[in-house]
Amino acid sequence: MSPNKPTTNYLSAAADLRRNDRQWAAYESRGHCVVLAGPGSGKTKVLTTKMARMLAEDVRPPRGITCITFNNQCVKELKRRLGKLGIEDGSRAFIGTVHSFCLREVVLPYAKLGGANLPDPLKVAPPSEQDQLFGHAVEAVLGNENPQYVRTPFDEFRRTVLDRTSKEWTANDRYAPLVTKYEQLLADAGKIDFDGMALTGLALITTHAWVRKALKAKYPILVVDEYQDLGIPLHQIVAHLCFDGGMRLFAVGDPDQSIYGFTGARPALMNELADREDVEDIRLRLNYRCGKTIIVASTTALAENRDFESVEDNKGVVQDYQCERGFDEQVSLAMETIVPDALARREGRKLGDIGILYLNQYDGGTISQAVEAAGIEYVRFDQGNPYQRTPVISWLEDCASWCAGGLRTSDPRLSTLLQSWARFTPALTKDSEIAACHRSLVKFLFGTRNPDMRLAEWLSAFAKHGLYAQIKIDPTMADEAESLKLLHEASKDGNSLAQYTVANFGGQHGSPDRLNLTTIHSAKGLEYDVVIMMGLEQGRIPYYKVSAHQEKEARRLFYVAMTRARHEVHLLWSGWYNHKGNRYSNGRSKFVDEVMNQIGGG
Amino acid sequence: MRIAHIHIENFRNFHVLDVAIGRSAVILGENQIGKTNLLYALRLVLDLSLPDSARQLRVEDFWDGIPRPLTVDARIRVSVDVADFEDDEGHLAVLAEHLIQPEPMVARLTYEFGPIPGLDHEPTNDEDFEFLTYGGDRPENRIGYDVRKRIPMEVLPALRDAEGDLARWAKSPLKPLIDRAKANVARADLDALAKGVSKATDKVAELQPISDLASRINDKLKGTAGASQAVETALGFSPADPDKLLRALRLLFDGKTRDISEASLGTANVLYLALRSLDLDSLVDDGNREHTFFGIEEPEAHLHPHLQRLVYRSYLRTRPSSTLDDAQPAGRVTYLLTTHSPHIASVTPVESLILLRKDDQEKATVGVSGASITLTEEERDDIERYLDVSRAEGLFSRGILLVEGDAEKFLVPVLAARAGYDLDALGITVCSVAGTNFVPYVKFFGPNGLNLPIAILTDYDPQDGGRSLGEDRIADQIIPAMLGDDAPKKRGDRLAGAEANGVFLNNHTFEVDLFQCGYYWSIARTMTDLCSVAVAVERAKTRAESKALEDEETFLGDIGYVGKGRFAQRLAAHVFESKCKKCPDYILKAIKHVTQ
Repeated sequence: MSPNKPTTNYLSAAADLRRNDRQWAAYESRGHCVVLAGPGSGKTKVLTTKMARMLAEDVRPPRGITCITFNNQCVKELKRRLGKLGIEDGSRAFIGTVHSFCLREVVLPYAKLGGANLPDPLKVAPPSEQDQLFGHAVEAVLGNENPQYVRTPFDEFRRTVLDRTSKEWTANDRYAPLVTKYEQLLADAGKIDFDGMALTGLALITTHAWVRKALKAKYPILVVDEYQDLGIPLHQIVAHLCFDGGMRLFAVGDPDQSIYGFTGARPALMNELADREDVEDIRLRLNYRCGKTIIVASTTALAENRDFESVEDNKGVVQDYQCERGFDEQVSLAMETIVPDALARREGRKLGDIGILYLNQYDGGTISQAVEAAGIEYVRFDQGNPYQRTPVISWLEDCASWCAGGLRTSDPRLSTLLQSWARFTPALTKDSEIAACHRSLVKFLFGTRNPDMRLAEWLSAFAKHGLYAQIKIDPTMADEAESLKLLHEASKDGNSLAQYTVANFGGQHGSPDRLNLTTIHSAKGLEYDVVIMMGLEQGRIPYYKVSAHQEKEARRLFYVAMTRARHEVHLLWSGWYNHKGNRYSNGRSKFVDEVMNQIGGG
Repeated sequence: MRIAHIHIENFRNFHVLDVAIGRSAVILGENQIGKTNLLYALRLVLDLSLPDSARQLRVEDFWDGIPRPLTVDARIRVSVDVADFEDDEGHLAVLAEHLIQPEPMVARLTYEFGPIPGLDHEPTNDEDFEFLTYGGDRPENRIGYDVRKRIPMEVLPALRDAEGDLARWAKSPLKPLIDRAKANVARADLDALAKGVSKATDKVAELQPISDLASRINDKLKGTAGASQAVETALGFSPADPDKLLRALRLLFDGKTRDISEASLGTANVLYLALRSLDLDSLVDDGNREHTFFGIEEPEAHLHPHLQRLVYRSYLRTRPSSTLDDAQPAGRVTYLLTTHSPHIASVTPVESLILLRKDDQEKATVGVSGASITLTEEERDDIERYLDVSRAEGLFSRGILLVEGDAEKFLVPVLAARAGYDLDALGITVCSVAGTNFVPYVKFFGPNGLNLPIAILTDYDPQDGGRSLGEDRIADQIIPAMLGDDAPKKRGDRLAGAEANGVFLNNHTFEVDLFQCGYYWSIARTMTDLCSVAVAVERAKTRAESKALEDEETFLGDIGYVGKGRFAQRLAAHVFESKCKKCPDYILKAIKHVTQ
């Protein structure tokens, strides 16, 4: 399907939306529209169907639509869903993160003309170099502090205080000078980092009317998914492009699911948008996922008035468990009783229908060891994942999936793999070079069609075909090259992924036969039949020292976790926990209290 | 949208061609100079119908001036800068990624042909090379079908068969127009009409003599092939198919009495062009493309000069004017013509002229364009009026003598002939500026303009007190206009260098100098022929007998009774028959200057 040809696949998808008047209203919207979509409300379906419609009916070639979402995982999922409607990422549809939008659509074409002071050629600092420079900056500005503890508040400050002439900036004698120093060091090294890219993109859009004009000409409509997670830079980009530059906005998200405060996200931004006079706000209230009890319980934890209604004829179960002997007992209870019982309770239920959700990657480590010891296959999604799912690695997973058997079902398609590869190798401009590189890639893929091949060996073959070198050669891919190297390291003997095969690696996106282990943060957007939440102690959630707005975010976190479940939510707690060598016995999380009191359990 | 600039390197005739372009382009030059190659260079970037196998050029397409064998640095490059598109969002959507300048926006599209990187030998074969097209000076920003489909270039070649194409449905420029109209015709109407047509045509076959004929044919067939073998035939029209009904439409002329096959070649060409440009406009209106760059080679083919001027004036003069209807969208087509026709050149806006010629070493074709000459609006209007009236022949000449008025225009060729110079054979044109304001013409034709070989002939015009208007003219106007910032600062230097720059003064006034040159009796006879003032005729005879002027003022005053132009016209005939074979010195110098 040519990316230029509008398709009509969306018409049958649209027929489904007709049954839900609010979904239909969103589908019928003509101007700026913000859809506030609760859990399980079918927001992705609304977004993809509406986007397909707008591409076919509202925007004529050569103009197109830009679609921005939170992270690479979301991008991948959106591309998959849009692909089913016949929309491919291409000249008429840009689908990507804020960073990739800023890089590809703003910085690369316009930075030089717009006088942005950037290294030429543009070089992206890999994470290790960022860390190193950040360490130097901390040492220079703050002295002896541990850079690891400073990084998160530093990032949040840099992403939220954008006006560097404001009082908030000038009055800050800790992070403001640190940002200045760090950016100075980056510039001296001739590099840029991801946040720098977004900030540069924003600056170009803010400063130059002609940049806004060019973007609007190319993309008269801006679609945003996961708006609540996107933070101030995107919010300002939206303000400049849509309310100043004349682009039409279609945004979808759920402020109740805003759980990335530490990255600069603010739920208020989306509410502010929805409250605007010139924006049509639509609230989806039908929940197609969660059982009735789960909706009541989760809304209680959220402590907000919501009129969500379950569509499914399913009561749902919310149950809590006390494990007095501590976290290890919670783990064994889950593995020995709750999981087997859940599997037995419903015909056809598989391990992949169950999600174990926990607060941090430390808990994840404990749990995964026990799961491994029990001989249960699992897949883990959290920062403790042995590797970062960067765009290239995510693409490699697809390649592995193709090698492990996808070639027979054309899922993923070889042509899609080759096209994505082209995007990672922008330095190749000549047909001959591109063809040679494609040959190497195809040779590699065909030569490694073996699901049982060890990941280490597979990655070595990748390098041997000159493909790693091709990524490494491009200065804008420095970060990717480094992540790839770490992945290869981890796959070698004695390291965390030593046992991984091509099939394991390729099947990382939730397979029906693997138990899902994930932090709550990483569970966003996923859904399970059964959710088991662990480590719900007062003092851990909410954290023992929190501000009022941090407690609100903790409530949203709890809410997100519960609303991943269709039928069952199991809440596990011990009443005590250890922290920095001390034991704290504060009882179960007050959110568990509130939930159980509301539904009349424990 | 328009092409603002073209840059070509190492392609065929061109070593480096760098020209600014106006709203349209009219490319002038001798045969073999590379007019078609210039259009082809643009096609490499923009033509949607050009296959990639044609974009893959050959070694011989490199400019001959590059030593063979070629090295790894050898490059053919064609860049097209596009401007005036930012107010249309469709245009901007296509070009936004290819900007090289933001305010006002200019986008650049580039074609490049060079050796494949990493060859282990010097590039010698065609296969050692490959091409790349990209936008915005960023080679990684490849362009192709996506861009070409929206802003394609189409070329109407020199050897075309307008009449034939008009007659064949598949090739007819009428086809897309009728297809478009058909979309708005109700199907039921069409069906009903088809039935009506069939009914009417059936009646023809029912006419007695016709049906008799049909029977005779059938009988004959039976007689020769036998009853069992013979096929039953009938006379009639094929049944009217509603879909084909519209295709049967023909353009008719002269009160619907004649069709295209009876039209003259010229009419067919005009019609062909009109239909094509209507189609190009519709393609934009229907949203199928944003703009068309329409190349027409030798548009003068088969067209009467009068028609050339009339037709192309309308295509080329698209300069925004207050008389244009606001609803009328800005030019959806950019016309790029190659021509030998002074008639077409004469209606071309100055900014659209592109003149191709050999460089000094005769090795490569270089070009200059009217768009890069700085002229005030009044000066530009002067030039355009001048070209229009003079039929633009100066643009096609090898040298131009700029003179003050009709007198010189009539007489200079004759005087040159007396001295043995045939200006026509030399390709030298005498152009009158109708006055003494040489400035716009010097700017336009001179070294900072089209850089044609020019010489200026102007009168010394002595004034009371020993001053000379002619010298003032040279020092204050002509030399600054000619040399711009390079003009010498001092008046003395400007005058001293005038002849080296092709500016020539006589001793007094044209007629006075002619008299002094020796045409005493030619002048006297002309006065006798034309002057009705008896004393003036008498004075003329006296002067011829004495070979001297009593005073210049009276002499010129007497000519004024006749009128300088009319006087010169008649004088030309007498000079032609005169025994005197002299030509004033300043004219000879000017001729030598432009023939050097």
